[in-house]
Amino acid sequence: MSWPWPGFVTPMSAWLAALFIPLVILYFLKLKRPLQQIPSLALWRQVMNDQRVNSPFQRFKRNLLLLLQCLVLGCLVLAAMQPYWSSGAGRAKYLPILIDCSASMGALDQQGGLSRLDVAKAEVREIINNLLADQLVSLIVVNSSGRRLTDFTNNKKLLLSALDHITVSDVPSRLDDGLRLTQALARTYSFERAIFLTDGNTPGAVDLELPFQIAMQLIPPGGANLGITELNARRGAERWEIFVRIEAAAVGGGEAKVEFYQDQELLGAEEIALDPGEAQRLVFRAPADKSSYIDIRIIPKGFDSLASDNTAYLELPTLRNLRVFVDLELKAFRKALQPIKGVDVLPVSGSSKPDQVLGYDLVISPSADETVPTAPVALYVGQVPSDIGKLVSIETGFVKVVDWQRNSPLLRHVQLTEVQVSDNPVSQKDVQDRDYENHGYEILAHAAKGPLILHKNRDGKQSLWLLFHTDHSTLPYRVAFPILMSNLVQMAMQQAGLSEIQGQTTGALPARVADPRTSYSVVGPTGMRQDLTSSDEGLLMGISAPQVGRYDIQKGLSTVAKASASLLNASETSLKNVDTIQFREVSIQASDTKLNTDKPLWTEFAILGLVFLAVEWWFFQRRPGGW
Amino acid sequence: MTTPAGTRFTALLDNSVLSRLERLRLDPLRRLTVHSRGEHLTGKGGNSTEFSDYRDYVPGDDVKNVDWNIFARLNRPYVKLFRHEEEMHVVLLVDASSSMLFEGKLELAKQLAAACGLMGLMNNERVSVYACHHAGAQPELMPPSSGQVSRRRLFQFLEGIQGGGDSPLEAAVDAVLRRHRGRGVVILLSDFLTFGDLNPALNSLFRSGLEIHGVQILSELELRPDLTGDIRLLDSETGETLDISGAAELYGLYAEHLNWQEQELTAACQKRSGRFIRVSSKTPVETILFDTWRRKGWLR
Repeated sequence: MSWPWPGFVTPMSAWLAALFIPLVILYFLKLKRPLQQIPSLALWRQVMNDQRVNSPFQRFKRNLLLLLQCLVLGCLVLAAMQPYWSSGAGRAKYLPILIDCSASMGALDQQGGLSRLDVAKAEVREIINNLLADQLVSLIVVNSSGRRLTDFTNNKKLLLSALDHITVSDVPSRLDDGLRLTQALARTYSFERAIFLTDGNTPGAVDLELPFQIAMQLIPPGGANLGITELNARRGAERWEIFVRIEAAAVGGGEAKVEFYQDQELLGAEEIALDPGEAQRLVFRAPADKSSYIDIRIIPKGFDSLASDNTAYLELPTLRNLRVFVDLELKAFRKALQPIKGVDVLPVSGSSKPDQVLGYDLVISPSADETVPTAPVALYVGQVPSDIGKLVSIETGFVKVVDWQRNSPLLRHVQLTEVQVSDNPVSQKDVQDRDYENHGYEILAHAAKGPLILHKNRDGKQSLWLLFHTDHSTLPYRVAFPILMSNLVQMAMQQAGLSEIQGQTTGALPARVADPRTSYSVVGPTGMRQDLTSSDEGLLMGISAPQVGRYDIQKGLSTVAKASASLLNASETSLKNVDTIQFREVSIQASDTKLNTDKPLWTEFAILGLVFLAVEWWFFQRRPGGW
Repeated sequence: MTTPAGTRFTALLDNSVLSRLERLRLDPLRRLTVHSRGEHLTGKGGNSTEFSDYRDYVPGDDVKNVDWNIFARLNRPYVKLFRHEEEMHVVLLVDASSSMLFEGKLELAKQLAAACGLMGLMNNERVSVYACHHAGAQPELMPPSSGQVSRRRLFQFLEGIQGGGDSPLEAAVDAVLRRHRGRGVVILLSDFLTFGDLNPALNSLFRSGLEIHGVQILSELELRPDLTGDIRLLDSETGETLDISGAAELYGLYAEHLNWQEQELTAACQKRSGRFIRVSSKTPVETILFDTWRRKGWLR
């Protein structure tokens, strides 16, 4: 433990102490002592003699004014030297302060109490107020990303203003971005320590190597809390089954009523009682004959520290069959898909035109030209993507599948060992796997000299490329083929939201189909407005959703769509705190004791000097007998 | 006393004050008077008209003092005794040094001297006035005078006293005693602010048969000094200086010394069968004469 010790910011100001010399000289020269003629000194001499004899401090009293003047000057000199109590941790010129403002920082310690962020802000405010003249602070907020609020500055007004504007974001905390931001600052500014104020509800490990130390200041966690941590819907026979997981915080649970709304209509409610750390899963059923909005609300019966996890939202589409366009030439695919329940294989044999009115969920085609319909998921057979046409060429010759990604959604449980392929994709000389990756392609299956299956996810659309034609392979005759088709249907259903729908978490909303190159406004639950323009492909992307609630997507003045975001984070709801963050090489221990920062003392000395000045003035001017 | 209407007999005192003073006289504590003559009655037999006692006739007594009525009734001669009237010498010592020039101290001293002198003259006492200025120098003197005819002389002498000088009181007393002869009352009109010891001077006065009436006249600056901060005090007589820091702080001590000095002087005068009083230079002379002194029995 290091004890605080005094230091001076500008010790050179000690030269001002030389003013003591003229002060003393001037005092004893008594240049300004007024002359007062009196009838006789007889009595005054007796008084002075008596004073010298009787008062042990007569010299002190005689020069009390000099003493007071010296004290005033001493205080001013000390104030000019800008003394401070050092925290003992070494005085930093640059001090980055990271403030956790994730959802759990909104937790209250008691009914009507302070949020964790308010406590953290109070501590940061004290640090700012105690800033020394040569100390510069930069405020960085950390939630699911990192954001720098101020440059390194000692402008207290600016810092306090930025601090006041920090609000809780209903997002889980991730330290990486904030720490990377601080790491980048360390390249420009030299500092050895950064302060991180958090409730400890953070990841326990960060894959970073920091060139500075982190003083992790732990804010005490909030009180009892119940929250929704999972919300999803699965396709039932003719209705949606809604699964809700409710968890209690580690510090305290409680009783609550859980209400289930569909389009603002209460369809069901259940009472729950959870002990600390316990969880309970609830199931509700919702009609699927139309698209609807689902609200799950927790009505706590006692104190609940975190409000943002008491509500969760879900958007349910109408249940329908998966619309799959399969080129009429790909008979093996059509035969493999037709037995699958809930799948409409289009066009129906004999029809020459694809049905463009309804749109497709999955397209399987031997060509990728513009005549082929578009869909969120597309499988192109025997095609090389045009943008990587220079990387690979198709030669003739039998090849086998060398390796494939068994955990990819398309190839899960698919056995490709015995598959023979007569189209032999060969990568050009010096072309590596990363060259495909640089073009956005992921290789799902490898042949001996090149990729066999590629996957690309762009603008929310997934395209799968079989670089060989299935008619030139033994794949349709293998068990792997129907499994492959089943996986493809699952991918399409997932993409179309027809099999399982997850509650959308806060952070950023997924891209939405919109009119191309059109301006939209997104109005959040707190009235926050974002103006966005859809892409050329007709996708509205980058919708920020930092708060739990509904978001209205407006085109002009009319609402064209609604979206929602929920916290749905078990870690944030649990309010658990970690006492150690493991970095690559070191671990940072959290401390719940108040941070020691250098405390400036010049104001105290200035005030003391003023007091001495007032005493001196009073002493000099007071009336006789005015004790 | 008659004066033309609208004119003052002296600039020192109003005519009304003078009129009232003519009916008063100094009332000394002891009978330190001249035997030859005078209007102060002694306890002994005398030749005044005021009856005192009877005693048996002894051969040699003046027969004119025999009370024949008693002799007729008792057939024994008794002699009537009358109170003896003696002359008292009133010595006025006016301190006219520089220290008396502050805030009308000297003016008050001259007014009180005029009042005492007038009372003495109006009661057939011998009045002499000494005004002391410089140490070692002979004091100004108004020789012993008596009778109402000396009033103008008295007032002119007092009006002519100019202040200034460094004479301490004890030196002034010595100078007076070198020239004075006679018993009576000495009225010391001074501020009694001296660096020396007054006791030898008071002893000398007592031995000379003078009853000491000390009147200390102090200015407001001396009674309630209004001094603050660091100042340099300048003695008006000696020109010496004294630096004082935090004068206001010393005021309490100063007041203690002032009170102590009053007690010392009162005790010193009383020990020598005298009186002492302190007055402020701001106090009107009428108040001192007709109120303070009358109540204290200085006048009757």
